[in-house]
Amino acid sequence: MSAASACLALFERDVMAVTRSRSQLYSTMLTPLLFLVFLGTGVSRGLEPSSLPAGNYTAYLVAGVVVMTAVFSSTFSSASYYRDRDSGLLRMLLSSPLGARWLLLGKSLAGVTIGVSQAVVVLAVAAPFVDFEWQYGVVRGLAISFAAILLLNVMLGGVAQAVATRITSMQGFHLVMNLVLFPLLFFSGAFFPVANLPTWLEVLAYLNPLSYAVDAMEVATYADSSEGFIGLGIDFAVLGVLAAAVYALGLSRVPRLSWSGK
Amino acid sequence: MSTTATGPAVQAESIIHAYGERRALDGFTVDVPRRGVFGLLGPNGSGKSTFITMVAAMEQPQTGKLKVLGEVPAAGLRARVGTVFQENAQDPNMRAAEQLLLAGRVFGMGREQARSRAEALLGQFGLGARANDPISALSGGMRRRLEMARALLHDPDLLLLDEPTTGVDPGERQALWAALLDTPDRGRTILLATNDLAEADRVCDAVAFIRDGRVIASGTPAELKRGLRREAVRVGWEGPSAEQLAQAAAWPGAGDITALEGIVHATVDDAAAFVPRLFALAGSAIRSVTIERASLEDAYFQYVNQRAPAPEAVA
Repeated sequence: MSAASACLALFERDVMAVTRSRSQLYSTMLTPLLFLVFLGTGVSRGLEPSSLPAGNYTAYLVAGVVVMTAVFSSTFSSASYYRDRDSGLLRMLLSSPLGARWLLLGKSLAGVTIGVSQAVVVLAVAAPFVDFEWQYGVVRGLAISFAAILLLNVMLGGVAQAVATRITSMQGFHLVMNLVLFPLLFFSGAFFPVANLPTWLEVLAYLNPLSYAVDAMEVATYADSSEGFIGLGIDFAVLGVLAAAVYALGLSRVPRLSWSGK
Repeated sequence: MSTTATGPAVQAESIIHAYGERRALDGFTVDVPRRGVFGLLGPNGSGKSTFITMVAAMEQPQTGKLKVLGEVPAAGLRARVGTVFQENAQDPNMRAAEQLLLAGRVFGMGREQARSRAEALLGQFGLGARANDPISALSGGMRRRLEMARALLHDPDLLLLDEPTTGVDPGERQALWAALLDTPDRGRTILLATNDLAEADRVCDAVAFIRDGRVIASGTPAELKRGLRREAVRVGWEGPSAEQLAQAAAWPGAGDITALEGIVHATVDDAAAFVPRLFALAGSAIRSVTIERASLEDAYFQYVNQRAPAPEAVA
């Protein structure tokens, strides 16, 4: 019980740290929203994309920028491991009777909560300004989107945590995150549908975990039918399995003193 | 000998611990009695912090035996130990009271219990008025006091202080020790690692001198200072020969004379008689002379130099 309480204390502290860091709080959401406004408007008006399943590029882009928000958020949140190490706080935490996995759990749950909240805010801000089809209705569409956002953030939190506990420097961490996660965004269907891509890129897209989160949200919000999409069944099966596996991987290696710079 | 509630607070026997090729602890043996302040005194890199880390159950010795409060150190022991690390363990963006609350809860305290204890300790360490200030706004001395309050929050049986006053000005240093030693005695043991021998002389009930990962002497400051002459003379002396040192040591009223890192160190009965003879012996090779009352530092030099290389090798 006291371990759960300690875990909750860490959770509260990490959430509070982000809410106090206004620049982190807003920039994580602002950049994706700027993408939506400028890229969405620019492509919609400038290129008139005709191959979109339901027309309207800006509406299509919303799922992509929500995923982008989750990617940014998980990166920012996991950087807190390095801040805690550099400030010395991690040393205090590791000197406590709290098991290191509880420590990781508290911090990672905070990261997931922040990521989900930010992604939901981006969706909520964007949704009134675009033409979504809501093929399952607004409430069910939002519930499906929320579930996809949650699983996506759990998965990304696990990835970020696994990277953070294996890489000593924050610069190295950002490098790995940039090299791995951001390219994944490009062929996830975030910015263009994967259905009409060359085969090699389409294969890459199906191997890309982010594609399934984008697909689930597109189906729930943007699309008027599931035709041309992967489909919710496969989306949630893949996201669920990956989220569980990657999150477990993230918790599998605990920070040690050697990691804290000694 | 088994460690009981009345036995040593910390019992270390022949601990060897290496980082790569370098042995941080090399046959480290010490008994730290329960209650009171015990000092681990030695230069930087002598193994003090490594030993503190092990006593805090944050690292296991590679070989040797260690018992802390009667237990082999493991995660559960940490609830009975509070540690002030050499560097602050604080998030500068948190407020002082928040930091203590977080620490209290990760050490197993309830929210309300941690809150009331934090309030009391902030008052005790003179930080009551700064409780809601961000830690980044506190002075260095205040941050060290906050560290001390944090380490005491869960009322540990053993308090580990790793150079707690490094970088703290004399006024703050005094305030910090006053606040700490004013704590009502509940049988707590304080293990202090420091290279400030004057501070150790003032606050420690017993000390161990450490060099190269080993304890080279231990006892009460009075025991270790026994046999020292009345005054300590530290001489900046370029290249003293073994013969010159032996000659000076044979003068009436001179105690041990040793040389380490360019400084010749002697305890004597009468510095006013000793120093002119020294100038006559060494002349312009003498760069500086300091005379003080003999202290724990002099005892330290005496013990350290019994194991040090020959004077001509280090001068």
